[in-house]
Amino acid sequence: MKKNTLSLSKKNTLHQDVTSKLKVLLAEINHVKAKALMGVLTNGQYDIYHIAHSGVPLLRDVEQLNPDVIIIDIESPNRDMLENLNKISQFAPKPIVVFSEQQCANATINQMVKSGVSAYVVGEVNQTRVKSIIDIAIARFDLFQGLKQELADTKQKLSSQKNIDKAKRWLMETKQLSEIDAYHLIRKMAMDNSQKMDDVAKNILSVASIF
Amino acid sequence: MFNVEKKNINLGFMPLTDSAPVIIAHEMGFYEKWGLNVNLTKQNSWATLRDKLHTGVIDAAQMLAPMPIASNLGLHGQESTVISPMILSRNGNGITLSTKLYQKILAQHNTNEISMPFSANILKREIDERKKAGKKLTFAVVFPYSCHHYQLIEWLKNSDISPSDINLLIVPPSDMVPSMDSGDLDAFCVGSPWNAKAVREGVGITGVTSSDLWENSPEKVLGLMCDWQIEHPETTFALVSALYEACQWLENIPNRFEAARFLSRAKYLDTHIDVIAPSLLGSCLTLNNSSPRKVENYQQFSTLGDPAFNRPAHYYGENIAKLMHASGHINAKQIMNLDISSIYREDIYQAVI
Repeated sequence: MKKNTLSLSKKNTLHQDVTSKLKVLLAEINHVKAKALMGVLTNGQYDIYHIAHSGVPLLRDVEQLNPDVIIIDIESPNRDMLENLNKISQFAPKPIVVFSEQQCANATINQMVKSGVSAYVVGEVNQTRVKSIIDIAIARFDLFQGLKQELADTKQKLSSQKNIDKAKRWLMETKQLSEIDAYHLIRKMAMDNSQKMDDVAKNILSVASIF
Repeated sequence: MFNVEKKNINLGFMPLTDSAPVIIAHEMGFYEKWGLNVNLTKQNSWATLRDKLHTGVIDAAQMLAPMPIASNLGLHGQESTVISPMILSRNGNGITLSTKLYQKILAQHNTNEISMPFSANILKREIDERKKAGKKLTFAVVFPYSCHHYQLIEWLKNSDISPSDINLLIVPPSDMVPSMDSGDLDAFCVGSPWNAKAVREGVGITGVTSSDLWENSPEKVLGLMCDWQIEHPETTFALVSALYEACQWLENIPNRFEAARFLSRAKYLDTHIDVIAPSLLGSCLTLNNSSPRKVENYQQFSTLGDPAFNRPAHYYGENIAKLMHASGHINAKQIMNLDISSIYREDIYQAVI
């Protein structure tokens, strides 16, 4: 029963990821600038929220909104606050797309992006330009998150492989089974109980620890 | 004199009282004297100052003492070899409680006054009371990798208060006083002049300073990219020389008031001299309309005639790395792999001073 709920909720999350719009928070005190950006970003892909205050009230709104993306000017004093959310709370890291009207060489922008700034829009808020840069920033973020997920999955796989190996060895020693038979036994138990092999291995190991 | 490779330098600073050395070197003509033309650029966030240094938008920066270590470890984004050839200041931070919280503590302890500097023990009753209601006191610091953070944590730990007993936020220095005024913050640890501003406005009371907690530990350092220093060795020497002269100038108390006047200008701190001058004169404003507390070395920039003060000795870096480890910012392996003497570069400092 428990297992079913788990797999169901996972499916739901996946489903949600595909269909829901990205929540974009625009933290910009200057209303004129904010309006221009909102105009550029308003389309079917994003839900845009504009917040014009700073300090703790901004932080509270961010936590309530739980946005996927925060857009903030590189010169905003609130940058430290938003960028370090994940260091002081359980908040998931979010890409922070910064823009500025300052004239800046392309090489510098590339450097900035490489050094962790998600994107850096320079000069006039140009419709196609802003949109494409933000799209790229989000794609980069997804890629990064994807890699992190992949790493976590690989680590998980390695640890289940270890469990299975340990359980196999225990079966070989105590039940005098060959390696192949021990493996088949674990697999059969997993299939019969519709469990993962890792879970069966863990069960075997917890039984083993009693003896 | 040095044969400077680059005359025009962009130097980034944050508007704080301890940016005095980089500002005074400009105002008193020390950069010029050493053959440099320094353009001071005011930054609004530490993250932006860091990114601009990493990417060469600025050549040099006034940094929080833990920042070069954080950059080398890539604690924020890409690993970058930032070095520090000089300590610019020590002390200067303070912990301020909201007036509302302080009044409540006085009532809880049935007293009119608590002697200062006070320990975090006075908070215990309130923390316990809130715990019963499922609530916590909310504190703020300015940056995670900062002495402010480590000082606040230590102050709490000295009284057996765990960091998990409070909410801790990062709030920009200029937003600390308004956030406390609106009731969003119960306490903060921030650099001058923001503690004094809270007291002047009757919003908070400053009960303990970094000088009460740590013995003259480095607070701000000069930060450069390692590659930049290799390309500009003589320029680095000139920069260190000019800043050293500014630090020496600042050690003279009569000069401190003049420094406060410079700092209050719009292009620097853009804050009233009433708020800037006290800490520079060794005065810690505690409660509004009360006599200030004398704090020796509240803002320290040098020791007259003793060059050791500004030397970025590796053991300071090691101490900071230990604090970063103790607060969970870095792990034991990261500490082991750290080569502090390649970050805190006393060799550069000693070659010139």
